[in-house]
Amino acid sequence: MMHGPAGPSNTVETTAPVLGIGAVGKRFGATRVLQDFTLDVAEGEIVTLLGPSGCGKTTLLRCVAGFWEADGGTIEIDGQDIVDVPVNRRPVGVVFQSYALFPHLTVARNVGYALRMRNKPRAEVAQRVASVLETVSLTGFENRYPSQLSGGQQQRVAIARVLVMEPRVLLLDEPFNALDAKLRGAMQVELRQLIKRLGLTSIFVTHDQEEALTMSDRIAVMSGGKIEQVASPDEIFDRPATAYVADFIGVSNFLETEVETGHVRLPDGQTVMTDLTGGVKVMTRPHNLRLGPPEAGPWKGTVSFHRNVGPLIEYHVEASDGNVIRVSAMRQERDCPVKDRSQVSLSVIDPASCSVYPG
Amino acid sequence: MKWFRGRSPVDVVGIGLVLAVAVFSLVLLVAPSIIVVIISFDTRAYVTFPPAGFTLRWYKAVFEHGELVEAMLNSLQVGLTVTVLCIVLGVPTALACVRGRFRGTTALSVFVLVPHMVPGIVLGVAVLFAGALVGVSPSIWLQSISITVFILAVMVRTVQSRLMRLDPALEEAAANLRATPFQSLRTVTFPLLMPAILAGAVFTFVEGFDNLSVAIFTHGFRDRPLPVELLALVQYTSSPIVAAVSGVQIVLAIAALVIVSMSIGLDKVNE
Repeated sequence: MMHGPAGPSNTVETTAPVLGIGAVGKRFGATRVLQDFTLDVAEGEIVTLLGPSGCGKTTLLRCVAGFWEADGGTIEIDGQDIVDVPVNRRPVGVVFQSYALFPHLTVARNVGYALRMRNKPRAEVAQRVASVLETVSLTGFENRYPSQLSGGQQQRVAIARVLVMEPRVLLLDEPFNALDAKLRGAMQVELRQLIKRLGLTSIFVTHDQEEALTMSDRIAVMSGGKIEQVASPDEIFDRPATAYVADFIGVSNFLETEVETGHVRLPDGQTVMTDLTGGVKVMTRPHNLRLGPPEAGPWKGTVSFHRNVGPLIEYHVEASDGNVIRVSAMRQERDCPVKDRSQVSLSVIDPASCSVYPG
Repeated sequence: MKWFRGRSPVDVVGIGLVLAVAVFSLVLLVAPSIIVVIISFDTRAYVTFPPAGFTLRWYKAVFEHGELVEAMLNSLQVGLTVTVLCIVLGVPTALACVRGRFRGTTALSVFVLVPHMVPGIVLGVAVLFAGALVGVSPSIWLQSISITVFILAVMVRTVQSRLMRLDPALEEAAANLRATPFQSLRTVTFPLLMPAILAGAVFTFVEGFDNLSVAIFTHGFRDRPLPVELLALVQYTSSPIVAAVSGVQIVLAIAALVIVSMSIGLDKVNE
């Protein structure tokens, strides 16, 4: 196959994926950690593998990096199968959860490591290290040791150390876990902008939905070694394909009900169209629900808890059937001053935004 | 005293007891060495306490005593041989036990430990008899090998424990950053294991230099190591020359500690 030069590129004209994973499986003893996993990642795209621990996301990343051997399937980079390529010759760069910086080497020697291993001339190493350190804004830190850096700086060294070898695919294994909450948000934005600027094809592994929504072009939600849904962050959030995805991303309310000829009736009387039949679960997000005075509708409940979440107020409403429904509203948009234990009625703002899943 | 204030009587008694026991133990440990050093400077030709005067003649005598000097050189050679063998055999064994992905890593780890659990005398006698059966007679080499078998566990365990606390991602990172397995060992694993290897080297050298229980059965007839020579010496004489040899050894031990602490730091050896 023909390819343009590796590295930054603003044109996305090639349709062939940079990374192609086909039917990869992996088992440890009797446990199937990956089943028939298939995913293509396009040039310059950031795809997030999102799922709880044990869903196989890290296993897949380790198979792509070559730390573990897949039991079957193909892993292709630029159309070339790399399954038999040893770890140290795969054109991938890994940013580890622990960063795995070499504690006995300075920042400059950490960053230059990959070049020295390939016996690049001294002058070239120095020049490329300087340029990469500038990219991650660490100029001036050359002679520090990792233990003398903050968590955020260590993360940038870990990224610089990988960038210096100009990998075709960047693999990020929960790189924000070691950072405190406040720094995490800032580093997510910074890292996404950096990766986009360099046009690096990336796989990002996390169990944190907010990270996934921030970082990704596409999110693959995983469960039990399989992909539940791959789609853009908006689509994953607004149109979750399965009840599992809906439950995993964001806050969801599930209402169990029966289909009546082509539609389901919501407790407030409105209807949602569906092709399904029999028992189903209707999912609606808290921001798609509205509270009203108790006489305003047929769906009644009691507020059992409410809290201020910054610009939003989150209510827990115990409906008459015992279900606890979560509702959120902008703080300044409160129609009625609601206190705990007060009687309210619930209504769905936009029935078309509800999702219906097989019960 | 100030620290009495605000403490319960039980605490005061408890802290006092702990301090007393600690001081008593230290005195028990250190006092004999100090007494030996003091005796080594005594002017009289037999071991007494307190000393009658100060002289360096026993130290001079040690270095003029041909057999003692030779014994020291023999022990030095055994110590160095044991250290080298322990590094060459122990470090790869530790790597295999911790990083190895084959069945029997635990068995290997225990196997290395077994000779260390057997009393040295038993091991020494066993080697002597087994050697006689296959026609290998005691020699400085048999002694070095026997002590290596005896003490190898210390090197393996020291390196093993350090290796177990190394982030496995470090070696994966090296591989990902284009290092061959050999380059990864040379540039990442070994430098990070160095404090443990040096600590192990100090322990094994001291054992090789100082071991009596194994050495007494396995040393060469003409190559007496220092502990055996000293044992013979105290059996026939009671001159402070023995104390002077101990003095030399104490100075060497302190020198070793100083060198280690200056090169890698005692806190790292302790890790």
